[in-house]
Amino acid sequence: MTPQKPDTTEIAIVGAGPAGVAAAVIAARAGAAVTLLDENTNAGGQYYKQPTLTESGHKYPNSLASNIQQGQELLAGLNHPGIDLQCDTLVWNVSPEELVLYLCGPAGARALQAKRIIFSAGAYERVMPFPGWTLPGVIMAGGAQLMLKAQGLLPGRRFLLAGTGPLLQLAAVQLLEAGADIAAIVELQPRAEFLRTASKLWGHWDKLGQGIANQKKLLQAKVPIKYGHTIARALGENEVSGAVIMKVDGDGRPIPGSETTLEVDSICLNYGFIPATELPGIAGCAQYFDYNFGAYATKTNENLETSVAGIFAAGETCGIGGADVALLEGQLAGAVAARQLGLDPDTDEATLCQKQLQARTVAASLGKMFPVKPGLCALATDGVPVCRCEEISAGEVRAAIRMGVVQLNQLKPWTRVGMGRCQGRICGEILRQIVAHETGLALQEIQPFTARAPVKPVLLEEVGGAVADTGELTWEDHVGGYGVART
Amino acid sequence: MKAQRINGIERGEPITITVNGKEIQAYAGESIAAALLAAGQRNIHQSVKGGAPRGYFCGMGMCFDCVATVDGNPNVRTCVTQVHPGCIVETSS
Repeated sequence: MTPQKPDTTEIAIVGAGPAGVAAAVIAARAGAAVTLLDENTNAGGQYYKQPTLTESGHKYPNSLASNIQQGQELLAGLNHPGIDLQCDTLVWNVSPEELVLYLCGPAGARALQAKRIIFSAGAYERVMPFPGWTLPGVIMAGGAQLMLKAQGLLPGRRFLLAGTGPLLQLAAVQLLEAGADIAAIVELQPRAEFLRTASKLWGHWDKLGQGIANQKKLLQAKVPIKYGHTIARALGENEVSGAVIMKVDGDGRPIPGSETTLEVDSICLNYGFIPATELPGIAGCAQYFDYNFGAYATKTNENLETSVAGIFAAGETCGIGGADVALLEGQLAGAVAARQLGLDPDTDEATLCQKQLQARTVAASLGKMFPVKPGLCALATDGVPVCRCEEISAGEVRAAIRMGVVQLNQLKPWTRVGMGRCQGRICGEILRQIVAHETGLALQEIQPFTARAPVKPVLLEEVGGAVADTGELTWEDHVGGYGVART
Repeated sequence: MKAQRINGIERGEPITITVNGKEIQAYAGESIAAALLAAGQRNIHQSVKGGAPRGYFCGMGMCFDCVATVDGNPNVRTCVTQVHPGCIVETSS
């Protein structure tokens, strides 16, 4: 590829969710030239995903309308001459020494050099495998929310929501208001855990209020909430036609004989979230193990600077905290980055820092209350695929573990887990749970997959520049279904 | 199982797209995955090794389970790709 001079900007922000947008607005108002990059078609991230159906007048049900409205208010701040918002643009690599980002977007492949980089790439949903979990009709709970709010589509008729944490109840309310029938919510934690959560949130009336309002709506609609239960199996040949749920013991292990079969056409899963750390990982930013959420996340100092000079991280990529934390951290990172460039943002960073730490404390106590329990690994019986892309079964993984292959970077070449299109984003955390369960190692002793460029599949013909045309085979023929995607 | 477009939510212009040779109704601004689900096609992709049915899963472009060939381009994530008039979708499943 002929080397090209990179485009330049002052502050490059990767990810236009709550954190990225907040950072862009603060920095641009201080006078910085900001380039805000996002892989999606619109800014807002998943949390503030905006409907793409029409320009206005969507008439959404209540529980969705307020979220969409808040998002619109935040996104209005992007109408600033200092912000260059580039959507449909994937940042697929980063060079930390020169602070250069490698982009792939509507204008083709480009490089962008910045004086400061802020990574605000958000999070992914955490799920756990069970027989039938790859069937069409089993979807992530956040994926169901996206269908509702971005597409105005109810992705099924009769739902089971399964996993752990407050998102299940919120998603159930949203589905209900959109006209769905909810067969049950299956919550891993025993009921007592929910009450303990409530006591931890004492004083945080908005959070507590939301939870109580959701429970009230579910009670009115007579939706059964099965505490201390798990989804055990999705039934159906080509799509979901039912679900088996089971009671669990204290470790999350399903109790034999407790099976109940439900007639449903859709199953929504959520076991919390996992920080998206690929780009900070490639940049060499240090990580820490977040005990509250059981996952590695990007380490920062109180100013949200990572261990790599010039690179900041804000929001979920620094550890799961939710949208409130992301908004505060975005502002803080944007303000500190702008100030380092000699600008004078209209913020008080010390106050922001304090507020952000308070919000993190609330989020942490929530995280602690809804852990994934190791006994759930029993549901991944030997025939169940763990790596959905490469179709590697739990049995193959266990056989490798018995051979002493216990780190993810070893399991990968040994079994091919994590080598498919999703690049381990789904199986990575599942594998850490299985290894911990099989070996007794602590979760923090099992390192996540090493992130490598490109962080998402890209077309070689785009990022590789001019590829020699041999006349016989194209690059697409060579790489076929593995590792290329036009997006 | 057909997904349901929620009543009362304003939609864009009606668009016709072709899925495996058959015309289906979609609306401007919809994702291809939404149009497929609304037309009753949940089974979008056949897994490469086992030939198992796969469909809309993460909804945010990370799992690659809902990929299809769109206008001749393979491996397009239907959940993050919008429909356009004359759009030709071929699913492997």
